[in-house]
Amino acid sequence: MNVSGYIGNFTAEIRRKARYVDPEACTACAECAQVCPVVKPDEYQMGLSSRKAIYIPYPQAVPSSYILNMEDCLGTNPIACGKCAEVCEPDCINYDDRDIIVKRDVGAVIVAIGADVYDPTEMDEYGYTRFDNVITSMEFERLICAGGPTLGHFVRPSDHERPKRIGFIQCVGSRNPSIGRPYCSNICCMNTIKDTLLLADHYPDVECTVFYQDIRAFGKSFEDMFQRSKEAGTRYIRGIPGDIEEDTETGNLTLIAENTTSGKIERHEFDMVILSVGVGPPKDLAKISSLLTLSKTSDGFFMESHPKLKPVDAPTRGVFFSGFCESPKDIKDSVCQAGAAASRAGALLNAGQVHIEAITSVIDADACKKCGVCASVCPYGAITWKKGEVAVVIDAACAGCGNCGAACKFDAITMRHFTDAQYMAQIRAILAEDPQDKVFVFACNWCSYSGADMAGISRMQYPASNRIVRTMCSARVSEDMVLEAFRCGAPVVLVSGCHYADCHYITANRQTVQRVQRLWNKLEKAGVRPERLQLEWISAAEGQKFAKVMAQMEELRKTVTEEEIEYTIEALKPKPRKPKKEKEAAAVAG
Amino acid sequence: MATMENFKCMLCGHEYQELVEEGEDKERSCPKCRSNSIRHLKKRASQGDSDDKGKKTE
Ligand SMILES: Cc1cc2nc3c(=O)[nH]c(=O)nc-3n(C[C@H](O)[C@H](O)[C@H](O)COP(=O)(O)OP(=O)(O)OC[C@H]3O[C@@H](n4cnc5c(N)ncnc54)[C@H](O)[C@@H]3O)c2cc1C
Ligand code: SF4
Ligand code: SF4
Ligand SMILES: [Zn+2]
Repeated sequence: MNVSGYIGNFTAEIRRKARYVDPEACTACAECAQVCPVVKPDEYQMGLSSRKAIYIPYPQAVPSSYILNMEDCLGTNPIACGKCAEVCEPDCINYDDRDIIVKRDVGAVIVAIGADVYDPTEMDEYGYTRFDNVITSMEFERLICAGGPTLGHFVRPSDHERPKRIGFIQCVGSRNPSIGRPYCSNICCMNTIKDTLLLADHYPDVECTVFYQDIRAFGKSFEDMFQRSKEAGTRYIRGIPGDIEEDTETGNLTLIAENTTSGKIERHEFDMVILSVGVGPPKDLAKISSLLTLSKTSDGFFMESHPKLKPVDAPTRGVFFSGFCESPKDIKDSVCQAGAAASRAGALLNAGQVHIEAITSVIDADACKKCGVCASVCPYGAITWKKGEVAVVIDAACAGCGNCGAACKFDAITMRHFTDAQYMAQIRAILAEDPQDKVFVFACNWCSYSGADMAGISRMQYPASNRIVRTMCSARVSEDMVLEAFRCGAPVVLVSGCHYADCHYITANRQTVQRVQRLWNKLEKAGVRPERLQLEWISAAEGQKFAKVMAQMEELRKTVTEEEIEYTIEALKPKPRKPKKEKEAAAVAG
Repeated sequence: MATMENFKCMLCGHEYQELVEEGEDKERSCPKCRSNSIRHLKKRASQGDSDDKGKKTE
């Protein structure tokens, strides 16, 4: 329900839902369910069978005891039915049970909220809502399962006959930008291959046909499974059906698809069609994101701290990801990630203390004007602020991006080891001589600075006019730092950082974009050509891009005249601030 | 809701329009020269001189 605190010191509030049945006393005799008059679709069986208002959610549930779903019950206040309590011999039903909020102090949090399976209702072209014998792969899982509604006897919904010709349609709700799901769901190809093998094993006379865009069978032994599926007689047709027709008498279905290998439009008749549905971000993602200051990648799943180097860490320290919620993956990868997340959390808890880099933000309480801007831009929620109060940095949560330092307009923030004074001194020293010959570059530590390194070690040629100053994040570059470079005579200033997906500080570089936008407006207003300020995203692997950008900057530099530089120096001179008393007097007079 | 907005590449000068979804989080690059120096022109027009109020718009 709520999580507060920071790495090593979280407090989680958890709602323990009322069960209305004492799990210790319940013997799972099922007497209660037998007398319960309420019949509801069984969610676990995908609605293919029913359950009572008092039930065991699924056969493997732990503890193996009944629960009462109060939303389904006929009513307990006053008691409208009460039959279950009447027949329960151990007397374990308590209608007065209530949800309990428990508080736990925890050092680390693992987010493992899974993913949501795609609901194909909106894709009318496959007739999921119109035709009984069109089912999803999730429903198929239940129908073929020995613990399922048909006890593993595979029958089709319309007539309870065993289907012989089965068509699978891949990528339903995946790789489809038009419905906002451009990504591959990762699991559906192998799930279908597994299903065709299951069917071939259980019913050798079944004929399976799979319509696909690409078969993604890249894991260990996956190609072997794919080949076995083909050997078992499954036909694979490259092409996704565009339409489906039902024979109303037989309930059979005809799929119409372009076979992209032959280029022909084909019609195939089936007894049953299975939509191989993908997965999407879990419904609670936004809620959990706001509790733990997390963000998401463009596909809507949780964003990890770094896609290669910290794949199970959340950007918020002390928070880790496991499984589907970070990206679609199979059980093996989910288990690997769960193990890694548990190890990362275990190492943290065992260490007993957290080492942080000495580059965190420090707020000068005397200089702070209590505006709260720093707290609003910190991607980690590492700054706490209340209206009318001085902002406070939680050292353990601060990652040292410097975004707050760049945002504070009152010089109230010092970034340890990356102070404003240090940067100003670097800018002035670099541009002290022949500034007109130099391209001034701000490069972020993780990507663009490493991109420069990559260009260097790859012996790439680029003009020698650039002078680079390293910042931890491009968001550390304040408006004043850029303006100071221009004031010192820089013909061109380049701000560079990580690509959006690679930002090492969650989403800090989005603030860089906003700052550069504002600077373009400011420069233009001051009569300075805004094009002289440039922005580029350069990754650590993009040595070539770095070299190309440096050549472009040099070309741009050559267009800047001595007169422009002189004008800029004058135009951007800071205006002397009116002393407070003078301002007040002017206000009274005005 | 998506709106059509104006952008200008600050490297090659190319001006273009693009649909912008509400709350979208997208890395921009010039369709002509791939530069990331993309100026959002609509913002400038609609916000007037809000540029001077950097601290308010952070
Ligand atoms: C149709 C289909 C077929 C598949 N077949 C295969 C297969 O054959 N082989 C294979 O390896 N993989 C398969 N997978 C993938 C497999 O299901 C996943 O890899 C696996 O379930 C991921 O585990 P998880 O723990 O991350 O998520 P889940 O198994 O989804 O578990 C997440 C849990 O979190 C709970 N939860 C959600 N929100 C909250 C919240 N706010 N608070 C508390 N709890 C919450 C959910 O109720 C759920 O119990 C298949 C997936 C699908 C959709
Ligand atoms: S931005 Fe600066 S002045 Fe405003 S609250 Fe933060 S530290 Fe204080
Ligand atoms: S440096 Fe970055 S992480 Fe640290 S408080 Fe400032 S904005 Fe937050
Ligand atoms: Zn361009």
